[in-house]
Amino acid sequence: MEEITYNGEWIWAAQLGRFLVTAGFAAALIGLFGYIKGSLGKGDENWKRFGRAGFIIHGISFLLVIGLIYFLIFNYRYEFQYVWKHLNNQMGTPLKISCFWGGQEGGFLLWMFWHIILSFLFIRFKSTWEAPVMAVMSGIQAFLACMLLGVYFGDYQFGLDPFILLREVPSNIGLPWTRNPDYLGLDQFTNGQGLNPLLQNYWMVIHPPTLFLGFASTALPFAFAIAGLWKKQYIEWMRPATPWAFFGVMILGTGILMGGAWAYEALSFGGFWAWDPVENSSLVPWLLLVGGAHLLMVNRNKVTSVFSTLFLIMSSFIFVVYSTFLTKSGILGDTSVHSFVDSGILPQLLVYLLAFTMLATIMMVGSLRERWTYALVSVVMLVTGIFWNPVLMVVLFVLLMGIVMIRSYRRYIPKPKVEEELWSREFWMFIGSLILLVSSIQITLQTSIPAFNKILEPFSGTFTSIFQATDIQLFRKLADASFAPTTDIDTAYHLWQVPLAFLLMMLIAGTQWLKYKKTDFRKFLSKIARSFVAAAAILLIVLLAFDFRGDDFPLIALIFATIFAITSNLDYWLAALKGKWDNAGASIAHIGFGLLLFGAVISTGQKDVISKNQIGDLGQLNDQLSNNEDILLLQGDTLQMGDYFISYRDRYEEDIHVKFQIDYFDKVPKAYSEGDVIFFNNMFFEAKEDHIASRTFVEDMEEKWRFIPIPNERHANEAKRWISGTAGDFRFTLEPRIQLNEQMGNAPEPDTKHFLHKDLYTHIKWGRITPPEVDEEGYLDGRSHDVWVRDSVLVSNILVSVDSLSAVTMQEKAEFRLLPKDLGIKVHMTLRDRGREESIQPLYIVRDSIIVPDMVTKEDWGLRFLVNRFDPAEKKINLTIWEHESIRKDFIVMQAVVFPQINVLWIGCIVMIIGTTLAVRHRIKLARKARKQ
Amino acid sequence: MKKTHIVLIILIAVAVGALIGTYTSSSESVGFTEAFANPGTEYKVSGQLDRSQPVIYDPQTNVELTTFHLVDKNNTIREVKLRKAKPTGLEQSESIDLYGRVENGEFIATEMLMKCPSKYNENNHSLETAEAIDR
Repeated sequence: MEEITYNGEWIWAAQLGRFLVTAGFAAALIGLFGYIKGSLGKGDENWKRFGRAGFIIHGISFLLVIGLIYFLIFNYRYEFQYVWKHLNNQMGTPLKISCFWGGQEGGFLLWMFWHIILSFLFIRFKSTWEAPVMAVMSGIQAFLACMLLGVYFGDYQFGLDPFILLREVPSNIGLPWTRNPDYLGLDQFTNGQGLNPLLQNYWMVIHPPTLFLGFASTALPFAFAIAGLWKKQYIEWMRPATPWAFFGVMILGTGILMGGAWAYEALSFGGFWAWDPVENSSLVPWLLLVGGAHLLMVNRNKVTSVFSTLFLIMSSFIFVVYSTFLTKSGILGDTSVHSFVDSGILPQLLVYLLAFTMLATIMMVGSLRERWTYALVSVVMLVTGIFWNPVLMVVLFVLLMGIVMIRSYRRYIPKPKVEEELWSREFWMFIGSLILLVSSIQITLQTSIPAFNKILEPFSGTFTSIFQATDIQLFRKLADASFAPTTDIDTAYHLWQVPLAFLLMMLIAGTQWLKYKKTDFRKFLSKIARSFVAAAAILLIVLLAFDFRGDDFPLIALIFATIFAITSNLDYWLAALKGKWDNAGASIAHIGFGLLLFGAVISTGQKDVISKNQIGDLGQLNDQLSNNEDILLLQGDTLQMGDYFISYRDRYEEDIHVKFQIDYFDKVPKAYSEGDVIFFNNMFFEAKEDHIASRTFVEDMEEKWRFIPIPNERHANEAKRWISGTAGDFRFTLEPRIQLNEQMGNAPEPDTKHFLHKDLYTHIKWGRITPPEVDEEGYLDGRSHDVWVRDSVLVSNILVSVDSLSAVTMQEKAEFRLLPKDLGIKVHMTLRDRGREESIQPLYIVRDSIIVPDMVTKEDWGLRFLVNRFDPAEKKINLTIWEHESIRKDFIVMQAVVFPQINVLWIGCIVMIIGTTLAVRHRIKLARKARKQ
Repeated sequence: MKKTHIVLIILIAVAVGALIGTYTSSSESVGFTEAFANPGTEYKVSGQLDRSQPVIYDPQTNVELTTFHLVDKNNTIREVKLRKAKPTGLEQSESIDLYGRVENGEFIATEMLMKCPSKYNENNHSLETAEAIDR
């Protein structure tokens, strides 16, 4: 096979890029080696400098890699797969920047980028912990660099090469164009695919970098914990690690909340939090980090809960890796609205995850010989797993890790000599951290159900025999390995998370008032009483303002706890800290967290789906299939929805969106005067007095209306359907839209009207994108209707009534060209719309017990009729009506939800971020002061 | 016994509770045969849209009812009623997960997740077109 020289390719860039990745990987190993040598014994300065040089070269290499990819992006080098996949000529500068992290390779690079920046910062601070901490960081970076090597071992791809050329991608090899030296001149390569349109918004620019900085900031505390274990300085590492941990709490929290805001503003999840696996997998590390960071403070002065601190801080990082594993390996399959692609790196991610789990666990072992033994055993297990029964080996590995951890806890990790007091701050902070841990465990279990099935598969035989022996259904389920998350995702999480959040908020309210070591319980009670009373008073107002049901008790308790947390921390800040900012970080962050949860609970617990359907034949529906969430809007009609009247005005296309303009009008209550006749649910009523209609008829029925049991003709003629109001002044227009997305399928995007005290969130559930299908004459698919005599149906604003039935007489039979023995039924029908009326008589003909169809077309009405069946006993006919496309109005199905007090949630987010930033600043100050001494 | 130990015992108890709770309350993914054998029990049924049968969504009758046929993993075909507006991209979906139960001899789904053709496949598609043009 001759070598082809391709024209116009930047082969040099691919070579340079691959060289830089390899060099960066090698330099990380040098860093690892140098820093390990530099940490042994008292610490050799030369080795430390050697390690530092290695790490700096590593950092620079990867910064260059990132720079090179941006260079390729800004030069539209579509011969590179990564550029072709994520960029197109239409994307502006902000999107060009963000398309870098559109793929997994970019995601890993972004993650590494933040590790490098944080490590460079850390090196600049010249900490005494540099060598061991940076050894761990170098190790982490070496692992991550592996993910980008893109080397093949036989058929197995090791890492994803960001510099792979499009013609080198395995699935393209062999395609004829790859043999064309001028392939870059082909149309297909002058433009790329571009970022998925769903991601083409400003959130994509700010959310991933923030979230990845958050992920990256769990690494330094992890490295500190490993360093502390390594140097057997079980509590000394905690003080310098504290600011980094709180920095992580702040940034990761911000990143998660941005994700929520993104989902709420731009996606149609129907809320800001959907317990989606992707959301959960960033929440869990945050919860663990929050717990760990709080314990760091408790342990600063004396040994109290070293093991828990280590455990939480280290799991926080490990869960970042675990979440990468869950979301990037494709193991979650179809359980999420986020689509996951299995890019073949599952084994590598798994090894990465297990390696760090192993590191964290065996470092807890105090004896060197024992540590090496465990390391050896677990490595043997993992290697065995590569060749034989990987799942069994992983399970054994996890069991071993558990045993090692328990053993180390008992033998090596220092424990407090004196037990802490019941009424001390440290004890309750410890409890709070454990609650965060339980909360994380539950979320992880629920999220990991698909992964759990994979673990069960090899044990299917065992469980089947246990099931056969015991007949317990659970074992059958275990044997089938077919667990699936329940439909009611919210309940599955809330059942556990609401009580846990309640306990947590109560602790947040109380713990600040407790002193370290020992507190007088009576004094504590007297101090906290004031906030408690205030919280109770506010709760009362909340209960009056909103409508709670009886089974909402857990939510009410949680609302109380959030208010209590807010009032108590506010009081602590103003009274105990005298409103000073210096120390106030914790109080302010806790107030923010309280507000956040308060806003979340009120806005979701009290959310009101106001788009109940108003039209459509409710009589045809079976009870269980009631329309209680979506509203059908015909173009031009004005309907009542909640406190508004709304009208679907028009649609228009703009770029890749079809926008639907929905006008909102005030509702003017309807005034009725004495003697007015109305009907409601097919019953007639007469007004007893002049009055203004209430929201629902039921409210007025008793006092204002008299039931008319036998309506006379006047009643029947005068009566109008009861309405509570009419459309008033125009207020605003919302434009929910559908994104035309060729890559991912069309996607609805919401439009929200923000008020100070609530949001009105609307999104399109269904809207026609393509023209409807019609037959040659322009008729749409027919719809069948069951109609009783003297009943009517509404078809595109035309009222079709069935007035009576009559048999076709012998005379008429000749006229209609029927045979004498035919059975003929004449259906007398009337068509009515504004100002028009016409009678038609379609026939129902049975000849030799076969129905002869008689189709009647009324072109000027745009309708076509066919009687299908006739039920003489019930006097009911079944009839198909076709509509001509010219009379069919455009319509959409929309959902509208009112989220009350959602702004409290966003305010809470900002307050929490400010508070945490203050706390980080304060911790840095303290750490500096401690170092100077 | 120390307080910490008491707390730890409670913690473990709650964690075990969460484990059992999560996995007993979870539904099960089955085929139609089993779902129809146990009416009223919530199941997850996965499969593909039967493209030979029409997807019926008539918002003027019921905005929250979509009727279509699903081929489950054992190739059993059943009509299903999804109590939702027709999800965008249903016709293009590669695979479908339905969550629901059998009621009165009908499978009524309350929740549905779809897997749509991934970007990666689209890639190949457009590059194979490149091949055609090249000829």
